[in-house]
Amino acid sequence: MKTMDFNILDSIPDLDNLKTFTERYFSKRYLINVDGIKNNDMMIMFHSNRIALLSLAPSHSFFSKDENYKINFNIGKIDRLNNSVKGKSKKGGQLLSPKSVICKIEFSDESVFEVPCCMKGTLVEVNEELVQNPLLLKNMPDSDGFIAIMLASIAISEATKSELLTHEEYIKCIDCSVNKQ
Amino acid sequence: MDNKAIVKFCKEVGCCDICCLRYLGLKNPATYENYKEYIHKYTESGVEVENNSEEQQITSNPVDNINGNKDVNGCDDEPPKKKKKISICVSCLGILQEENWSECFNMVKETLEKKRYECSTFACALSAPIATLLRDKAIILHLSDAFKDYKEDTLTPLKEAWKWTFGVKLAEQIGMTLDSGAISPLLITLNMEYPDEPQELEILKKLSPSLFQERQKQRRRFTVEFTRPSVEQAMDKISLEQLKGVDKWNKIPSVDIEAKCVSAMCVHAPSYLGGRYIKLSRELPQTPWLIKGKRMMESSVQEILFEPIAKVFDLTPEDVDHRLKFMSAGREDVDVRCLGDGRPFAIEITDPRRDLTGDELKRVCKEISKGGQVIVQKLMHVSRNELSELKKGEETKCKTYEALCIKLGNENAEPNILNGKTPVAVTEEDIQRINEYRNTEAGDEARIVVKQRTPIRVLHRRPLLTRTRRIYDVVARRVPDYPQLFTLTIRTEAGTYVKEWCHGEFGRTTPSLRDAAGFRADILALDVTAVLLDWPRPQ
Repeated sequence: MKTMDFNILDSIPDLDNLKTFTERYFSKRYLINVDGIKNNDMMIMFHSNRIALLSLAPSHSFFSKDENYKINFNIGKIDRLNNSVKGKSKKGGQLLSPKSVICKIEFSDESVFEVPCCMKGTLVEVNEELVQNPLLLKNMPDSDGFIAIMLASIAISEATKSELLTHEEYIKCIDCSVNKQ
Repeated sequence: MDNKAIVKFCKEVGCCDICCLRYLGLKNPATYENYKEYIHKYTESGVEVENNSEEQQITSNPVDNINGNKDVNGCDDEPPKKKKKISICVSCLGILQEENWSECFNMVKETLEKKRYECSTFACALSAPIATLLRDKAIILHLSDAFKDYKEDTLTPLKEAWKWTFGVKLAEQIGMTLDSGAISPLLITLNMEYPDEPQELEILKKLSPSLFQERQKQRRRFTVEFTRPSVEQAMDKISLEQLKGVDKWNKIPSVDIEAKCVSAMCVHAPSYLGGRYIKLSRELPQTPWLIKGKRMMESSVQEILFEPIAKVFDLTPEDVDHRLKFMSAGREDVDVRCLGDGRPFAIEITDPRRDLTGDELKRVCKEISKGGQVIVQKLMHVSRNELSELKKGEETKCKTYEALCIKLGNENAEPNILNGKTPVAVTEEDIQRINEYRNTEAGDEARIVVKQRTPIRVLHRRPLLTRTRRIYDVVARRVPDYPQLFTLTIRTEAGTYVKEWCHGEFGRTTPSLRDAAGFRADILALDVTAVLLDWPRPQ
């Protein structure tokens, strides 16, 4: 067998069933009405290696508001942009509890809402690009518009993952609340 | 120096013949091989008679034992004969006395039978009881006292004398040639233990109390009380007067039980095989992929390479775990093929029975390749030094990839357009844009310099860093019949995450293919087509 016989073109997949990068490697989990605030709906995307990406769920009221906004990672006492982690164990990363605020979204009409991180863990990275380019959050919440990368222990990430809504459960919940209205 | 007087002195103290020669400082192997002849030379007629008679006793007894006369003795009632045991040498604790060697020979033979080495030479090493250090030193002190010109460093080390006597006889017994450890790959180590050693070394605590009190205090650091260095340190400054002051040590104490061989270890120097593997499967990890002990993929490159080698050496799965080690110049992902000349790798075989022959290496290659997932065209023996080249190559080599990519839509178009039916098509202008893109100065050998954050897929086990990597060249081509697809031939510096460059990983690699192409893109398949490292090189 000659390796000349092999060509990248023999690996063309079924183009009708392609998955996006997010779909290939992450499973999405949801929380709705966080802190009792209606449509304060969050999404956490878990990589198979337990790294978690925080973003807003499509049903978040943010997406229905047509107003300019800025994303502020300075949440008062702490500036999330100053977060730094060292080594394999991500030492020195800011500690997060489910109610910790990751950033504030400040609209031009002076209304503000806080983005909770929704899980216990260590902050690994915030998406600094959102400061320059806030539209990413609106246009690509499940890819380039992610808000932060978090890491929890295996036990905590497993537990969080099983507590939160799966995509199917989430769709059902959203449909229900729409129907009630 | 009066050699005869020294031999006489040593004999009186209770040394065996070979130890007498050691205290004379003789260092000629031939002298030790024929020690009986030489000891005769140095023995005064008077002493000679006395000694010879003693020696007769020494040699006659074990011969009886070997001939099975022991049983005969056992049932008769002659207790005095039992008392007439050979006198055990007070210096070597019997290690150099031929009468004690048969047990050692047997243990070596047993181990060799089990391990079935096919090696014509061997080197031997002795792990002697620490008490021999103490006894050597004591005798030296006595000698220096009796003979003013006796130098402390005269003594020939026990290990050397043992090699020249025991080692030579061992060679006859096992039918192999004794060689130095620097030459023979097979090392036989005999472990000798002296039952009375713990009590005997206690006197060091009296001779050098502060040292051992200190060691006792730092028990965590010094888990073993008596070690070779600590005993040597304790004895360094001892005088004869101090030694004589400790009970039983006014003369050299006799030995009740000789040092016994407790194990014979045989180890063959590791064997290293080098080659290049071609990986044709997109469902094959390089090494076993386990998550929480659970296997994620049926096999791996490593396992496919190991199997025929394990077969040749009759290795059990546990043996394989312990004795075969896989090394390579980098790695590729499970779903990435490695084509072209393949990727350099080496296998270390610990304690091999022998080196594989050229024919066997060819057969191993055939076995590996027969499954069709991994191909190895040639395997060869490589040296340890060459391994470091393999490892260094991991950082310095450059690699060529072939990537299959898809155009997802224009920069500002709706995201998630992702199926072959969308009217998105790669244009000739797109191709040209990619092929002309550069973010470095004209003339730089790299066209694109990228900053890559540690990819999320490995972020759980690696530090978060931003690495600068160089992409030397990118050539894009359209794919016939697939308007949305294009291929890339990419030449990069080692350590570039190519998949991440192609899809941009949520903006964590910048610039990415999107910046070169002017549209969002994703990668569908990746092949490594060349690992530019000339290894292994035929001799």
